[in-house]
Amino acid sequence: MGLLGGIYAIWLREVKRALRDRGQLIGGVSRPLMWVLIMGIGLNPYFRGEVFGEVRFAVPYTYIQFIFPAIVVLNIMYTSVQSAVSVIWDREFGFLREVLVSPMPRWAALLGKILGGTTIAVFHGCLVLLLAPFADVVITWERLAMGLVLMFLLAFGLTSFGVVLASRIRSFEGFGVFSNAIILPLYFLSSSVFPLDPALTRAQTLVVYPEWLVTLVEWNPVTYAVDALRGSFIRFNQFDPSIGPIMLSVMAVGFFFWALIDFRKA
Amino acid sequence: MNQTSSAIEVTGLTKRYGRMTALDAVNLSVPNNVMFALLGPNGAGKTTLIHILCTILAADEGTAFIAGSDIRRQPLQARRNIGVVFQEPSLDDRLTAFENLDFHGRVYNVKAADRRQGIDELLALVELEDWRHAVVRTFSSGMKRRLEIARALLHKPKILFLDEPTVGLDAQSRAGIWSYLDTLRRQRDLTIVVTTHYIEEVENCDQVAIIDHGKIIADGSPLNLKRQFGKETARIMPRDEAVAAELTQKYGSLQKAKDGSIIVDAGAPGFADEFLAEFGTRIRQVSFDTPSLESVFLTLTGRELRDRGADEHEKRNAAARRGRRS
Repeated sequence: MGLLGGIYAIWLREVKRALRDRGQLIGGVSRPLMWVLIMGIGLNPYFRGEVFGEVRFAVPYTYIQFIFPAIVVLNIMYTSVQSAVSVIWDREFGFLREVLVSPMPRWAALLGKILGGTTIAVFHGCLVLLLAPFADVVITWERLAMGLVLMFLLAFGLTSFGVVLASRIRSFEGFGVFSNAIILPLYFLSSSVFPLDPALTRAQTLVVYPEWLVTLVEWNPVTYAVDALRGSFIRFNQFDPSIGPIMLSVMAVGFFFWALIDFRKA
Repeated sequence: MNQTSSAIEVTGLTKRYGRMTALDAVNLSVPNNVMFALLGPNGAGKTTLIHILCTILAADEGTAFIAGSDIRRQPLQARRNIGVVFQEPSLDDRLTAFENLDFHGRVYNVKAADRRQGIDELLALVELEDWRHAVVRTFSSGMKRRLEIARALLHKPKILFLDEPTVGLDAQSRAGIWSYLDTLRRQRDLTIVVTTHYIEEVENCDQVAIIDHGKIIADGSPLNLKRQFGKETARIMPRDEAVAAELTQKYGSLQKAKDGSIIVDAGAPGFADEFLAEFGTRIRQVSFDTPSLESVFLTLTGRELRDRGADEHEKRNAAARRGRRS
């Protein structure tokens, strides 16, 4: 199949380039270490709540366990969105033309590119998983397989989203600032570093937290990605367990087609 | 209508950018296996035309057939038959020479064995075998251009487009590029389309089209163009004023140079014999200029091909590129 060969070539190029980029690899390793070792260990003793005069753990897990799946999501977010920089790079340095003038259909070229970025992002997500023993997270093979599928969907959706961003932003500097301005709020608002206590009703939650925060967390799609990975890695869900996978699939498909519409115009 | 008889068949191609008309109803026919040059100053529409023929830019009106495929209706089919070397490099400079070629081969669906053999042959052709596994970032601009030519040929296209392949290269690299193209033309069934604003480079081409302000103003072999539009001139240095006056009276002066020599139209048959018989002993010096493509361009447009304006345009473009990348 000729088309598969072409998709493979584009995928291979993305992966080679990413593996040759030391800076990206260092970021992929240091980021999770920082979160697990500093944030996780530092906040571990404080992770319990006093609600209505009753002291108890909001969730039956240590803080490191609680944020561990979210760190996987964070590492995937950074890498996916960053891999879209290669779209800007290709446009600036002319390589895009080599692809545009080839007999490959646009969708196949885009698919190869996004799969390449996805692979690297999932790889960076797996770097976090290596820290699982230090976070007291036990991952069985079965759980790992489920987690990898979810990580793939998340990375695919986010890389597509990165391509959409990249086709709107024309400079490297602009993209760096913009992607940080998007990644961090989405991450912090995904119930990644603090739980919305599932034992509480919505009315009670609104007593504990301001309404705008609860609403933003509930509207943030990343919330459900974090929740899905929590479901598979520490078996804890704050929301209906089926929402996460559905949300991830919808994002992956939706953002890919959005990216395709943009890429066709390129 | 038999479209396969010629490599490129263009009818009424028009492209507008806002109010500016980049291409104005261009008609063009390029036969198979020729070296075709598109000659014109910067901004004449050469690159726009190439981009349309490569199917990465859509025309507003008109049709174009590339190796028998309609670029509007069968763009993927057309792309299989063309190799393109763009004006600006389009290599991945973080990959090696081999990796760039291998990428191209896979994307164009070249079989593994053909790919390996093709890469070996083409690297040898452009004399880059020793740099096979070097990262492209370390290459000079001449080496990059050569690698791009090799890459554009890997899938054995029927037509090779080169947009200003020698711009920004030193004289030696420029000569090298043309010698590779000559070799290719002898070895393969290949139509080569090259754009340039260097007049001396097109003398060896089979067919030349001169483009200016988005219009093809002349099209033919260099010899025919010169015959049709060029002027044969004689530059005469008379011995004294009396002879000068007599010459001017007889032939009419095209131009009087500062050193006192007179340039006259020498196109009439038997001019040299007649002139020498009559004035042979009364002049200090005479030289005959055969018509050049430069004079063809001058005749057709009333200006030199490489005027100041073109250079200014080039500088401005280069500055804009630098600004964007810094």
